[in-house]
Amino acid sequence: MRRAITVMLSVAWSLCLAAPAIAEVAVIDVAELLRDPAAYAAPDVAEVRLRGELVGDFGHRQDAVWTQLNQDSYSAAPILSGGPLAGGNQGIAVRIPLAIWHEAGPPGGYRHRGAIVEVAGAWRYHDPDRSGESYLDATSFRILEQSAPLHEQFPRLRLLVGWVLLVGAGLIAGTRGHRAGD
Amino acid sequence: MLTRPSSDDLRIIGQFTGRIFLAFAGVSVLPLVAAIGVGEWAPGGSFLLMLGVFAILGAALTRLPTSRPLDIRHGVVVVALGWLLVPAVAAIPLALSGHFSDFIDVYFDAVSGLTTTGLSVLQDLDHLALSLNLWRHLLQFLGGLGIVVVAVWLSVGGAGLALSRSEGREDKILPSISSTSRFIWRVSLVHMAVGVAVLFGVSFVFLGFTSGRSLFHALMIFFAAFSTGGFSVQSTSLGYYHSPILEAAAGGIMLAGTMSFQLHFALWRRRFREAVRNLETRSFLTTFVTLLVVTMVGLATLGTYHGILGHARQGLFQFLSAHTTTGFSTVPSSELAGWTGLAFAGMVTAMALGGMAASTAGGVKALRVGLTAKVLKNESKRVMMPPGSVIPIGYFQDGHRRMTVEVAHAAMFITLLYLGLYLVGTGVGIAYGYSLQDALFESVSAGGTVGLSVGITDPSMPVVLQIVYMCEMWLGRLEFLAFFALIGTLWSAVRGR
Repeated sequence: MRRAITVMLSVAWSLCLAAPAIAEVAVIDVAELLRDPAAYAAPDVAEVRLRGELVGDFGHRQDAVWTQLNQDSYSAAPILSGGPLAGGNQGIAVRIPLAIWHEAGPPGGYRHRGAIVEVAGAWRYHDPDRSGESYLDATSFRILEQSAPLHEQFPRLRLLVGWVLLVGAGLIAGTRGHRAGD
Repeated sequence: MLTRPSSDDLRIIGQFTGRIFLAFAGVSVLPLVAAIGVGEWAPGGSFLLMLGVFAILGAALTRLPTSRPLDIRHGVVVVALGWLLVPAVAAIPLALSGHFSDFIDVYFDAVSGLTTTGLSVLQDLDHLALSLNLWRHLLQFLGGLGIVVVAVWLSVGGAGLALSRSEGREDKILPSISSTSRFIWRVSLVHMAVGVAVLFGVSFVFLGFTSGRSLFHALMIFFAAFSTGGFSVQSTSLGYYHSPILEAAAGGIMLAGTMSFQLHFALWRRRFREAVRNLETRSFLTTFVTLLVVTMVGLATLGTYHGILGHARQGLFQFLSAHTTTGFSTVPSSELAGWTGLAFAGMVTAMALGGMAASTAGGVKALRVGLTAKVLKNESKRVMMPPGSVIPIGYFQDGHRRMTVEVAHAAMFITLLYLGLYLVGTGVGIAYGYSLQDALFESVSAGGTVGLSVGITDPSMPVVLQIVYMCEMWLGRLEFLAFFALIGTLWSAVRGR
């Protein structure tokens, strides 16, 4: 009995080890994907899994929602919330079938940090069916963190200086008008 | 002997520079209203500050008393100064946005916008305020139509022709510069109405965006496409939309932007035969078809895309973007860097040659390419002929014209200056350790005011290279004349009597 249990556990362990190789699930980040996009392309790699922020727009097309998934330092802390500057954005297009789509709040932009999600799917690199486009064709989609509003500070000093300059410009223009009148 | 500019010369230059500032103060109201409209108070405050700076500088400078009219010598200096100083003030809202590391980066983006280049070092574009994005795109639109036209439109008056010529434009389509600028604005507004309507329809119906966002995207794409500028709302440029229909619509607007306003005028007046006979039209079509074939063969050799449709769509769009000097892309810069061999040769040559003269496009320009080709053909013929024989060269450009030595020299001189400009930028890029191919691509993109990038233009790029690219954009946009005039004026102010 004890021996049978040992054998069963060994088989189960072996299957667990073999599972990633069979399904070829690769958990990667967007920068890694963009560095070598061909290496993760379907069908050689069946599925990749990414986490990041949904930004821009949610394009509701016939059977799917198209959006952009960013995974960069701004996903964690946009500049408006005091996040540091860290270069350009790192993002890829994602196609999420309507069957698995959940409302994710406003997409990331100036007023909001978009929802943080985990998306798994096939990386369609230079997809011949879409005349060479590259995008992640999602098969699973999970919201990890809802979108959050970003707040800006009221620019009192800028408004004040701006008004002072405008009044100054008006006074100069008025002086000229007075001179011309003379 | 150099003549030192008189104080009256300086005052008149100052006064007209001030008028340009006042024109931009007027334009600054648009993003300010947009910021207030959507409740973006921080950018709104920055726009008010910018408006104040433009207004006070404009008011102070236009107060300078002058007794002489503006002539061509003053005009070129005004334009050169305007294109240097306007971006410095226009950069204020961008600088206060927090999306740039330092003022060089901000100024780089403002110069890139106003010269309709489209290279950018802005960080976190995907979280940029809507009104700031509007301002970037508006800068490109205004830069495309020319500070001069804006100034004339806002009643600078009779000095417009001198300013216009100094900007490298020869687009006096109608008898006066005011009627010409009115025509340019009319053409632009008609294109805008049609272009924005089509792009809005595509975004709303096919892409499934909300109506407000569809209108925003449509306006921004139009501004950047018609000005052949190439800024975009999202970090993935036009690749963001994943839509061949939108790419086709944007492509049509890019082509309209790269067409000379004379050609627009001929088509407007239904003079189709004349439009087709023009040397510039033929030259542009010839280089377009030839280089497109070269690029496509190159891509096919590399096997970058699967199937003919992939090559056709990706290849054609990137190529169209290069030849019209727009700078939109549907592929990442790292992928564009992989277009080697013939694909690289086709793209770089297309960027270097650019669009038509008197259009919003940059590069050497199709008319000069056509004239240079005619001169070279003539020289080849001359070798076969007996010594001393004269071969007259004629060409058709809004009527039959004879090629004079002056025209031939001017065309070839400017062409050589462009080549020199591209090579200088390439040399500096190589000195910083970039490969010849990457350095050449990026330099031609900057000098030809294109905006496509293989990744060199980045917030972490060397400052000296950034300054060199800025100079390339400025010189490429003004076509050298204004630069020589500015240097000449400064030199004579120091050394003249």
